Parts: sequence; C-alpha cells; structure tokens
Amino acid sequence: MRYEVTVGERTVHVEIAPDGGLLVDDRAVALDAAPAGEGAWTMRLDGACHEVHALSRDPMRLWVDGREVRATVMDERALAARRVGGRAGSGRHELRSPMPGLIKAVHVSEGDAVERGGPLVTLEAMKMENELRAPEAGRVTRVVASPGTKVEAGALLVVLAPE
Amino acid sequence: MRVLRTCRDLGVRTVAVYSDADRGAPHVRLADEAHPIGPAAASESYLRGERIIEVATRAGCDAIHPGYGFLSENAAFAEAVAAAGLVFVGPPGSVQRALGEKTSARRIARRAGVPIAEGTLEAVADERAAADVARRLGYPVLLKPAGGGGGKGMRVVRAAGELASAWRGATGEATSAFGDPAILVERYLEGARHVEVQLIADDHGAVISLGERDCSIQRRHQKLIEETPAPSVDGALRARLAEAATAIARAAGYRNAGTAEFLVARDGGFVFLEVNTRLQVEHPVTEMVTGLDLVALQLLVAAGGRLPFRQQDVRQDGAAIECRITAEDAYAGFLPAAGRLGRVRLPAGPGIRVDTGIESGLTVPTEYDPLLAKIIAWGPTRQVALARMRRALAESFIAGIPTTLPFHQHVLADPEYAAGRYDTSYVERRWHGQTVDPDGTALTAVAVAAVLTARERARHLAPADGSAWTRLAREDALR
Repeated sequence: MRYEVTVGERTVHVEIAPDGGLLVDDRAVALDAAPAGEGAWTMRLDGACHEVHALSRDPMRLWVDGREVRATVMDERALAARRVGGRAGSGRHELRSPMPGLIKAVHVSEGDAVERGGPLVTLEAMKMENELRAPEAGRVTRVVASPGTKVEAGALLVVLAPE
Repeated sequence: MRVLRTCRDLGVRTVAVYSDADRGAPHVRLADEAHPIGPAAASESYLRGERIIEVATRAGCDAIHPGYGFLSENAAFAEAVAAAGLVFVGPPGSVQRALGEKTSARRIARRAGVPIAEGTLEAVADERAAADVARRLGYPVLLKPAGGGGGKGMRVVRAAGELASAWRGATGEATSAFGDPAILVERYLEGARHVEVQLIADDHGAVISLGERDCSIQRRHQKLIEETPAPSVDGALRARLAEAATAIARAAGYRNAGTAEFLVARDGGFVFLEVNTRLQVEHPVTEMVTGLDLVALQLLVAAGGRLPFRQQDVRQDGAAIECRITAEDAYAGFLPAAGRLGRVRLPAGPGIRVDTGIESGLTVPTEYDPLLAKIIAWGPTRQVALARMRRALAESFIAGIPTTLPFHQHVLADPEYAAGRYDTSYVERRWHGQTVDPDGTALTAVAVAAVLTARERARHLAPADGSAWTRLAREDALR
C-alpha cells in the first residue's frame, strides 16, 4: 500500500512493500518504530532518535521532538479518486460548528455573496463569543443555523458555493 | 488547586465545592472535604453564592477563598460571606464595589492624582450615545463593560462603521459575563503595553507594592504570556507605577491582594485601567522573583495579621515568565476547544513551575474558562528564564484537543519578543499561524507515524522489530 503524506509544506510518499519493506520516497529505509504506548512511538533512523505522539486523528496533529505538526494522509484509493477529476463536491464549503455552543447570531442569508474571512455565524462557547468566518469567498447556498439554538460539535451551520 | 496547596502547606483544613462537571476533578481530591453545589452550568453552581456559604457554614469553615474567577470580584458575595459570620479572603465588599465598577474606579484614580484614559466617567446609554462620544474622542476607541474586568466584552473600534457590531458584541458578552450590559467608551492607545502592579495591603495601614508584570501578549484582551520585571520598564517608571498603584489602593481603603493595571505608552506616559480586586492568574511570576507565597499572605491579612515585611524589604530576584496553556486552537483564531484529553505531559526541571488541574483522560468541559495549565519559568536573568521556558514548552504536549502550545513556542522563538520589543498588538502583528516543519529523519518519522495513525489499527501492532511492516503488508494483501 502506498500513501501520500503531507506534513506542513512537504509531501512524503510512504510505501509498505509486499515483502514488508518500508519505502520512503521510493528509497528503502530501516526505520525502527518502537511503540511507547497508545499513539506514541520512539523512532530510530540513521542513528537519530525521534519521539512521536499522535495528538489527534482528525484533523491529524502529531508531536515530534517538542513540536506540533499537522499532517494529512491519502491512501492509493484517495489518490486514484483525485486523479480522476478531483474530490466529489470540491469547492463546496460546509461550515460546521467546531464545538458545542449557542448560536448568538447569523450574519448571512441564502443568496448572499461573502468575502473570504467575512463573518457567518457568532457562536457562544466557553463564555466567549466566537465569530465563525468564511474559509473562502463564495455565495451562501444554505443557512441551517438559527439564532438562539444550541448546537453540538460538527453540526452543519452554513453551506457556501464558490462563485 | 493553587489555594488548596498553600492551605496544605500551612496545615489549614480545606473544603472544596464542585459542580457536576467537576465531580472527578483534581481539586476535589486534593481538598479534605468536598461538597456538590449543582449542575455544570456556572450560573447554577459556582456562581450560586448562597449555596457556597451554606456548605461553608455546614462544614464549620472559618473563611472562604474565592479563587480567581466566578465570585472572586462579586461585592455582594463578599458581603454575604461576612454577614454569615465567615471571613472573606479578599477585599471587603465596599472596596470591591468601589473599584469593581469601572466608572467609580476611574473617579478614585483621579482623586488619587493618577492619570486615566480620556473617556466617559459614566456608562453610555446606547449605541448612538457611544457614537457621539467616539466622534468627540476620535477613533480608535475602546468599548469596555462597566461591570467587570478580565477583558471579557472589550472591543476596539477603529472606525465608525465598526461600531454597531462591536456594540452588539460588547453588550452581549458583558451581559452574559457580568449580568450587566453597561458600557464605557474610552480613547484607545495604540502600541501601548499592559503593565500591572501587584499589591498587598493589611488592616493596619500597610500597602506594599510587590513589583510589576508586563501582560501585553494578549488576544481578545485575554492575557496569554506575562513576565516580571517588565522588559520595557526602567527604574524611574517602575517607581512611578508603584507609587500610582499604592496611591489608588490607599484612596480606596484597600485590603488584601490586588492588582492595579495600567497602559504604558511608547513615551513612558501611562494611564490607569482598573484594579483587579482578587488574586490574578499570573501571580506566580511575582511569587517566583519575590520568594513570597501570595495566598499565604492573603490568608494572613484576612485573619487580621500584620504583613511581616516593609516596602523596602521587598526584593526582586531574577526574572520570571508565565505561559498560559489554554484549550484554544491557535491555528483557528484561538477558537475554544473542548473534549477528552489524551496523554498529557507537562514540563519539569530547573526553574520550572507548573500550576494545573488537568491530567490524562480528563474531560475539558465547555462550561468554564479554557485555561488548562500555567507554565512558569524562573531564571537569574531574563535570558535564562526564556531559555528555560523554550525547553519546558518543547517537553510538553497535550493530546486530544488543540491548545495554545504552538503559539507560545512561536513567541518564545521570536527575536522581537526575546528583545522585549512587544506591545498589546503583538499577537495581531506577529502571529499568523506559523508552523515549523520537521525535516530529515524527523520528517520520515512523522510521515510514518501519520500513516500508522491513519490506519487506527496501528495501536494493536506488536512491538516493532521490523516485523511490524511485514504485518502491515500482510493486512494490505488481504484488503
């Protein structure tokens, strides 16, 4: 199985060969990964020792040698899907509630054009009001959120389509 | 936790109260006794003063320490505690009322001869009145809740067009945080630094300054990093700030620990902001350089004791810095996060102090402040303190939810911060969600770990001796 891993700005290809060999960017590497508890490894390669912890799976955040990094992993199937015409519905943005909270205000209506970074919804959580903003410019195609309602993490609030 | 620790040091028995969300919290276990006071929502538990007083009376307590949040700056609560025949560890209700209300605090400061920011002495009636004041003062202006501190509900307005949304936000947050929508309008000082003076006063007329703290690294007017001594404050300014702070405290008849906050302009001129009538989150940096236990002093003063030192006995030794690790995603505009914590590792070693109530497996509730841990570093010089803090941050991780750790690492690595050149606009100017990407063998290690994590089954793998990859290959063959 071949994987494409993006870590920050860099892309690395990781392949597990049928014979159990580990290929990184098509080069065989002798990486010793000793599990150090759940989601934790001590990894040794070329004499260098690295401590790696998985901080969260989705979005994937990893900790390596004292620094947090973000990573995305695509396997062969996802890569193949990308080759044949992009991800389904690409460009459509669903704004979801990042955490449980109370909708204090909705700043847009269906059909509105919004700028990148424009305010969409005000969510009150942890005693703070948080402005949830448009990740990209676009047109509002659906507004699910309504003021005064409580929402769970992951609840769909607003859908944007690119112009 | 902070208060319980000092009580244990002093051999004072403790009774904690807790909401349903905190049933298993460490502060409950550390206390000698603990009593439930209601559901998770603070308005039905930690803000219900009468329940807290009832528990204290029933348990036979002598005194109540209000901590730093919730009812710690609530004059009515302080008075109710006193009326119930208990000692309130903090300034009396009358002093809290005079200083807690910002309009009256500004009047006290003016009477004490301390400069205050231009603006309204009374709360403004509505948005239109606010617009009139703003036009007179000139933008930018600051909207500030009259009813409370801590930065909640504050909004900077840079142009008339921003006033409407800022007004809504400020009044909304002021109502939910303090139960009072009253708003003041002041001229906003650009490029200023937030410098505050720690005070302690007893019942016998002593008012002592314990030095300043620079708390300019803030987002949404909430402090993230504090340090003492303030790198931008010289000896003359330090003396003037201490004099202003003690003058306000004397004018208000202050008792117990408190903090006078100032904004210091680039030219060294300063204006009074407010007095926090409680112990502050950032008090440990002052403890590290003075060698004092501020909670112990609070208890001593509350019991009617005399402060055991004079102003000239206070010594500041070295430098200390505090990073507040909060449950907020520094890469998503400091959006609060909540959830179950995975593995937690917090630092230790020379010069490091950690104040925290979290541990692996704990669930961070959405109901309370997002503060997870405070990491404090001390050094004989600021340079050593910063180096220790960098090392301490790199030792730390909190799995499960996003935190501000990457933000703190960025600031500590920034030459501008290291040079002491920063003000309250620092976060806006210097933090754009920068990441530091690994390279070399670390990049390989992290890429492989990402694959293992994505496969979820990774954790069931036998200890790797090379056969781990064979097993992954076998699994792939079966797919």
